[in-house]
Amino acid sequence: MLERYIKSKRKRFIIKRVIKSIPVILIATLVAFSLMRIGGRDPARVILGHTATEEMLHEFNVEHGLDKPYHRQYIDWMHGLIFHGELGTSLRWGRPVTELIRPRLPLTIQLMGLSLVISVVMGIGMGVLGALNPNTWIDYLTSTQALFWWSAPPFWVATIFLLIFAFELGLFPTGGYRNIYYLVLPAFVIGLRLQAVISRLTRSSMLSVLNKEYIKTAQTKGLKKHVVVIKHALRNALIPVVTIIAMYLPWMFGGAMITEQIFNIPGMGRFIYNAAMSLDFIAVQSSVLIITIIAVTANLFADIAYTFVDPRIELGQSEGV
Amino acid sequence: MEEDQSYFGTEDIDIEQEIQDLKKKKTSQMELVWLRFKRNKLALIGTAILFLLIFVAIFAPILAPYDPLETNVARRREDPSRDHWLGTDQLGRDLLSRLMYGARIALFIGLIIVGVSGGIGVTLGLLAGTIGGWVDEVIMRVVDAFMSFPVLIFGIAFAVSFGGGLYPVIMAVGLITWTQFARVTRGDVLAIKQEQYIEGARAIGESRFSIITRYFLPNVLPSIIVVATIQMPSAILYSAALNFLGVGVEPPTPSWGEMVNAGSRFMQFRPNMVTVTGLAIVVTVLAFNFMGDGLRDALDPVRRGGR
Repeated sequence: MLERYIKSKRKRFIIKRVIKSIPVILIATLVAFSLMRIGGRDPARVILGHTATEEMLHEFNVEHGLDKPYHRQYIDWMHGLIFHGELGTSLRWGRPVTELIRPRLPLTIQLMGLSLVISVVMGIGMGVLGALNPNTWIDYLTSTQALFWWSAPPFWVATIFLLIFAFELGLFPTGGYRNIYYLVLPAFVIGLRLQAVISRLTRSSMLSVLNKEYIKTAQTKGLKKHVVVIKHALRNALIPVVTIIAMYLPWMFGGAMITEQIFNIPGMGRFIYNAAMSLDFIAVQSSVLIITIIAVTANLFADIAYTFVDPRIELGQSEGV
Repeated sequence: MEEDQSYFGTEDIDIEQEIQDLKKKKTSQMELVWLRFKRNKLALIGTAILFLLIFVAIFAPILAPYDPLETNVARRREDPSRDHWLGTDQLGRDLLSRLMYGARIALFIGLIIVGVSGGIGVTLGLLAGTIGGWVDEVIMRVVDAFMSFPVLIFGIAFAVSFGGGLYPVIMAVGLITWTQFARVTRGDVLAIKQEQYIEGARAIGESRFSIITRYFLPNVLPSIIVVATIQMPSAILYSAALNFLGVGVEPPTPSWGEMVNAGSRFMQFRPNMVTVTGLAIVVTVLAFNFMGDGLRDALDPVRRGGR
C-alpha cells in the first residue's frame, strides 16, 4: 500500500522534474545563441583577415547564413538541430560541427571521468578521516589541504604541476595526447579542487549523522564502530555528494578548457577556446549547448536518484535549495 | 552554481560561551555578530590579510619600489636580489611592483563583478520572491539555465565577442555568476513573507514597492553580504583565469593571471615569477574564504554549514 503510494508519487515527481528541464534547455539555447553575437563583431573579418575585401566578407556571410536576421538564424539552427541532428557548419574550419566534436568530446569526457574518480576517492577518504577524528591533527590536515586546493587557481596549479612533474621530474608527458597517461596530470588539477568540496561535504554530513541518536543507540548495543559508520553514516553522506558532482559538472568543463589549453590536449575545451578566439559563433553556440544539456541532464538524474535513496525527501516540491 | 558555495564552515559555535557573553551585558545585534566573528581565529587572520591587501592596493604608487611599467632590457628575468626583492619579469620590470599594482586590478575587478552580479541577482531574487507565480517560475528557470553554463566558457565567448579587455571580462563574469544572489534572496523573501508584520503592512495598504524596500531588502541584507564575500574570491579566480587565457586586461597593465602566463614561458630556468604570483592569488582567495566563512557563521548561525 505504502509502496504503491510512494511509487505513484515518485512517478509524478519524475514527470514534473523532466518537464521542468525543457524550458531550462530552451533558455540555454537562447543564451548560447546570443553569447557571441551580442558584441556585434563580424566573424568574417576575424577569420578572413584584414586583407579581405568587402565582397569576400559579404560572400562569407551569405555562405554561412549570417546575413539573415537573427531570429531567422536562430530558427534555422533549432530546425537543423531538432529535425536533422545537425549543429551547423563551423565558420573557422568550414566543416560540420558534429564532425569536429565527435573525436574531441570523448577525450574531454575521459579527462572528466578520471578527475571524478580522483576527487571522489580522495574527497570521501579525506572527509571520512576528518569526521572520524574530529578536532585532531588528522582533521586539521585534511581540512587544510581542502582549503588550499579550493583556493588555488587551477591554471596556476596546472602550470606548477607541469613544471614539477613533467619538466623537472619527467614523470609525465609535457603535453599532447596519445593515451590516458597524458590525462593524469590535468585530471589531478581538476580533481583536487573538486575533492576539496567533496571532502568538506562528506565530513560535515557524516558528522551530523554520527551525532544522531540511532547511531549512538547502535553503538551502545555493541555494534562495532566501523560497522555503524559504514552502514549508516557513509550511505547518508553519499547523497549530497552525488548532487554536488552534478552541480559542479559545468565547472569541470571550464576546468577542462583551462587544462586542455595548458597541456595541449585536443579535446572539447581546447576546441571551444579556439572557436571562441576566432569568433566562430556556430561552433561555440553548439558546443556550449551540448555542455548545458549534459549538465541539465546530470542534475535531473541526481534529483531522481535522490528519491530512490530516501523516499521521504519532499517528493512534492522539486525546488531542492 | 558550482563555485558559488563555500563549504568551509569553521569551528562550531560554543553556545554556552555565547549565553555567558549575552548575560554579561546587554548586547545589540551588531555586537553579537562581532562577538561570534572574533571567536573565529581564521576569520580574523583573513580579515587582517585583506586589510593589508587593500592598503597595498590603495597605496601602491607610494609603496611600490619601481614603476610597474618601466622596462629594463639589461635586467630581464632576474632572480630575487637586493634591488629587485622578487626579481624581474621578461621585460626587466620589477616583479614586486607589478604584484602590488596587480592587487589593485584584482580587487577592483572582483568588487565590480560582485556589484554587477549582486545587482542582477538581488533584483531578480526580490522579484521572484515577492511577485511569485509565473514570474517566479520564469526567473527560476533562467537561474537553472545560467547555472548549467560553465563560467569560464561563457566568459571567454562573451569577452571575445567584445574584443576582450577589462570591462568585457567584468561584464562576462558578472552576467553569469548572479544566480547564487538570486536564489538566496528569493529564499529569504519567501521566509520573511510568512511573518506577521508583512501581513500587517499589507493590511494597512502599503504599496508593494514600499514593502520591498522597507521590509524585504533590510532583512535579506545579511545574507547578501555573506553571498558577496563568498563570491568575491571566485570572481577574482575567474577573472584571473580569463586574464591568463589572454582575453582580459591588456598589457602592459599588470594582472596576476597574465603574469602567471608570462612567467610560465621561462619557468624552467626562472620559476620565481610563476610561483610568487600564484601564491599572491592563493593568499588573497584564502583570506576572502576565511573572512566569508566567519561572517556567515556570525550572521547566520542557524543555517550555517551550507544550504
